[in-house]
Amino acid sequence: MKKLLALLLTMAMVLSLVACAAPAPAAPAARAGDVNGDGKFVVGYISKNTTDTFHGPINAHATATLDALVADGTIDEWTGILDGLTDPGKQCDLADDCITKGCDAVIILPAEAEGAAPAVQNLTDNGVAVVVVNSKTTNTDELAATYCGSDDVYAGTLLAQHVVDNCPNGGKYIHIQGVLGNSAQIQRGEGMHSIMDALTNFEMVEEMTGNWLSDEAQRIATDALNKYGDELVAIICDNDDMSSGAQGVCNEAGRSDIVCIGVDGNNYPLSMVKAGTMLATVLQDGVGQIQAGIDAVVAISKGETVEKLYDVPFVLVTSANVDQYYTGE
Amino acid sequence: MDDMLNRSDYILNVDGVSKAFGGTQALKDVQLHVKKGEVHALLGENGAGKSTLMNIIIGLLQKDAGTIEFEGKPYHVKSPVEAMNLGITMIHQELNPEPNMTVAENLFLHRESMKGKSFFLDKKAQNKRAEELLSKFSTPYGPKTMMKDMTLAQVQMSEIIKAVSCDARLIIMDEPTSSLDSNETDHLFNTIRELKARGVSIIYISHRMEEIFEICDRVSVFRDGTYVGARDMDGVTREELIHLMVGRKVTSVFPKVDCPIGDEVFRVEGLCGNGFEDISFTVHAGEIVGLSGLVGSGRSETVRAIFGLDPIKKGKMFLNGKEINIKNPRSAIKKDICMVNEDRKAYGLCLFRSLRENISLPTLPDRQRKPLINQQREKEEVATVAEKLTVKAASMEHNAYSLSGGNQQKVVLAKWVMASPKFLILDEPTRGVDVGAKSEIHTLMSQFASQGMAILMISSELPEIMGMSDRILIYHEGRLNGEFSRQDILDAHVTQNDILAKEFGQ
Amino acid sequence: MEMKSVEKKSFFKTDEFKLFMGKYGIGVILFGMLVILCIVEPSFRSTRNFINIAKQVAINGMIAYGMCLVITSGGIDLTVGAQLALAACLLGEFIMKREMAILPACIFTLAITTFLGMCNGLLIAKFNMFPFVVTLSMQLVIRGLAQVISNAQAISMTKEAFKNIYSGFVGPIPVPVILFLIVTVIMYLLLHWTKLGRYILATGGNEKAAVASGVNVFWTKVLAYTISGFLSGLAGIILTAKTSSAQSNLGIGYETDAIAACVIGGTSFLGGVATVPGVFIGIFIIGCIYNGMNLIGVSSYYQTIVKGAMIIAAVLFDKMMNQRT
Repeated sequence: MKKLLALLLTMAMVLSLVACAAPAPAAPAARAGDVNGDGKFVVGYISKNTTDTFHGPINAHATATLDALVADGTIDEWTGILDGLTDPGKQCDLADDCITKGCDAVIILPAEAEGAAPAVQNLTDNGVAVVVVNSKTTNTDELAATYCGSDDVYAGTLLAQHVVDNCPNGGKYIHIQGVLGNSAQIQRGEGMHSIMDALTNFEMVEEMTGNWLSDEAQRIATDALNKYGDELVAIICDNDDMSSGAQGVCNEAGRSDIVCIGVDGNNYPLSMVKAGTMLATVLQDGVGQIQAGIDAVVAISKGETVEKLYDVPFVLVTSANVDQYYTGE
Repeated sequence: MDDMLNRSDYILNVDGVSKAFGGTQALKDVQLHVKKGEVHALLGENGAGKSTLMNIIIGLLQKDAGTIEFEGKPYHVKSPVEAMNLGITMIHQELNPEPNMTVAENLFLHRESMKGKSFFLDKKAQNKRAEELLSKFSTPYGPKTMMKDMTLAQVQMSEIIKAVSCDARLIIMDEPTSSLDSNETDHLFNTIRELKARGVSIIYISHRMEEIFEICDRVSVFRDGTYVGARDMDGVTREELIHLMVGRKVTSVFPKVDCPIGDEVFRVEGLCGNGFEDISFTVHAGEIVGLSGLVGSGRSETVRAIFGLDPIKKGKMFLNGKEINIKNPRSAIKKDICMVNEDRKAYGLCLFRSLRENISLPTLPDRQRKPLINQQREKEEVATVAEKLTVKAASMEHNAYSLSGGNQQKVVLAKWVMASPKFLILDEPTRGVDVGAKSEIHTLMSQFASQGMAILMISSELPEIMGMSDRILIYHEGRLNGEFSRQDILDAHVTQNDILAKEFGQ
Repeated sequence: MEMKSVEKKSFFKTDEFKLFMGKYGIGVILFGMLVILCIVEPSFRSTRNFINIAKQVAINGMIAYGMCLVITSGGIDLTVGAQLALAACLLGEFIMKREMAILPACIFTLAITTFLGMCNGLLIAKFNMFPFVVTLSMQLVIRGLAQVISNAQAISMTKEAFKNIYSGFVGPIPVPVILFLIVTVIMYLLLHWTKLGRYILATGGNEKAAVASGVNVFWTKVLAYTISGFLSGLAGIILTAKTSSAQSNLGIGYETDAIAACVIGGTSFLGGVATVPGVFIGIFIIGCIYNGMNLIGVSSYYQTIVKGAMIIAAVLFDKMMNQRT
């Protein structure tokens, strides 16, 4: 029993310590962006998740930058990374929490185009400025202060063009999709098909989901190699965790001629491009996106107007320009 | 008993061993002396303490007091494996072989052949060693036979071979013939004689007198956890052994109140099922019928089948003269047939539910006419019945777990009394119950009977059977083997010895 | 309580204390959490925030009640998350594509999830299969069905009337909170005041004894899973209204929080022990962990750790207070 009480007490202490550690508001000058009139400019940050390799660096960059902004007094407080768990329902809850917390501007990286829309709606209904980053919700154009992201349809066309350029004779290819229903999956596929479907010398022999995961892509690639053998010329993936996995399988099978490509520019795929074991990957500049988002928040805090759209371009990374993006590790 | 001329003649000397479980004294200052190369029978009623002592010897239980010497050295083991390493093995009544093991794998379990000092099994060498062993016993199976493909007798034989191959000098056999036919039994006896010739000692536990007379050299008798005596099989009679086993007078006072016996309530005709065959009897209103017999003789199996817990193969049941069909306990309860199971913890109570919920469980269908249970009425009724049965608990909202065995048993009784059955089956109603609660339960039984309930009681305690029953039916190996009336017992025409003799198949 | 502890040092060891804590301990913990959160975080102690929490826990709450019945009957239901997705996709199909009215669409949806819950129960009770294995497989089947129905596309639920199932109010109280409270009352009566509830408790507590007491164990189990299916369908409707989108990847991992709420609320994994008030409090404890820690600014990594630690602490606490061996 005593131990239990001790445990409870410890928990209470930890909680109160955390509370004390939260920056005490220094009597601030009234901020232009303070919408709720509490004299503070508070920034909310609703992440998509805190686990996958693409969002890891984004969250890390956001933490460093926002902490610095709090330190130099540009903003008064921020919520810390709120974990959206890739769940739109959860993000709706977090929007509620941000409002309660008195946020004046909220950065959100939507888990779903449809599902996270009510979160944006709820925030704007309560006068909070919303900065949507990375992917759009369906109501972003209408409600958000700004959108900082990249055009996934364009990324899809980059994937297709790369395959067309490197397989001049055409042939069979497979498409490994992301988690079905996800907006990036839908839009990248759309862009890819807009080019590939018009070409008569290419034939898509399979289209299935690898759920964004490298190991599932490896399994699919292995099966495809066995099934289509020499006729297979390319594997197009919705992200490059999957394309690097697929390329690894092909290389091991002595089929390094198969062109595998995906989107994101994660560390490992970049290292493969650097090493010459994969031709190219399409870099989505996540850090660039979040930086644009934070810049927008700073502008809002000063009462400046912000553009409705910051397009952070996708880049095709090949051996020619890989050194620019691959920092090594 | 025989003189202890030379202790070195004895392989096992057990002296002054006691063992208690909670408040129950299972063994009190018992002794057992087994000579080298003899087959020593261990005899006693159910619960006499035989199994407890054997479990102590093979290390499944630890003794509270006393000494054990094996081959002249103090002997103290904590596990069967340790006992096996010292040279004592037990062949259990219930054999549980791993079905997917081969004979060889089973033989060398825990002492597998290894390739050198590596972690890898040397199956070839192991099978070869097994082959050699099996050939000595001319078995019809080879080392690669799967355990699941063997008959019980063959499994038993492989266990004996295993014991021998471990260099066992003392083998304990618990009811080894209970599931063997006569040919297999003969084969087993030949093996036992072979073992004896090699100087292996055997402790032989059995309820079958004929076998004991056929194969054993000496016998020790236990009664109520105490040692009664030992005899050479030459010159001892069956009657003497039975007398030794029973020994006592009917000392406890049973509050059986005689009451008029009414019409027939329940009747079975030619009932057959798992473990019993061709059972026919009737129970009348106000009558307590006692079922007596050894454990495993088919008593409990019969009542389980009547109550719908086990299937019936053949036979008819009648309630108030009308034939009834019972598929499961639910249909039995609907017909006002209730049963207190011998295993209170498994079948009697939800230990972590309140007494109230436990007691009202069987009667809920009558209780819930409206969508919700009338909890107020339920509480009152439960309190009334609990008071009537003198359940001692702080409140009816306490867990059943918190009660003593006797009180738990009363709770089980209470839930069936609540259902006001016409026919009540009581399987070991006073097992694990202290003396006070026991006589209270007996009083209640008399009360129920006088209210016109028909009661069928199973008990392993002869005094209880004799003290409480209007009629006694005796089971022997799945069949009825005799019937005594209360008058016979009151007039002392029938004694415990007679009942026990019937139980042993005479 | 504190006054007494001054008078008598060994109060914490008395039976009265243990009985009290065994019954209400989890409530004391929730109360403690609320007090601490109110002290350290000003934004926590607003009426609006309490309503928020109630709204946020409604979905998990409904699932948790179903899960509680199933666990108490001696099983587990891993299909709840997939049931949410299926409910969402069915609603998308019915309301947006076939333009059904909202009420019949919801009724059809509930009928289907309830039926699938019943299938779980039938497979488990009839063929005596492991609940874990059956619901693990059924979860795949159900999510697959959701993908088939939606063709893996998200459908926007644009009807305001439908969205109001989540965002609407009755007086000052949000609709999901009302629904949640109604379900709570019904579940309380079901588990503690009806034959079925008693049978579920008895079946999970000791199946053999339940059979021997005339309980129809087969239907008891089937009904527990059926109710769980119904409640996940209901939670699915609310979730769909909340996200105003119907898509097949909703509800992933929702079973974890539901199980956590049950366990924190004193539901025994061995079956046979559970109370609805306990689970109700467990649901709010989980909600407070998320909401409170977000407001304080505790990193989400630590939130996960706290949640896990809470579950273990709850089980330990329960063991100490109720001494089940």
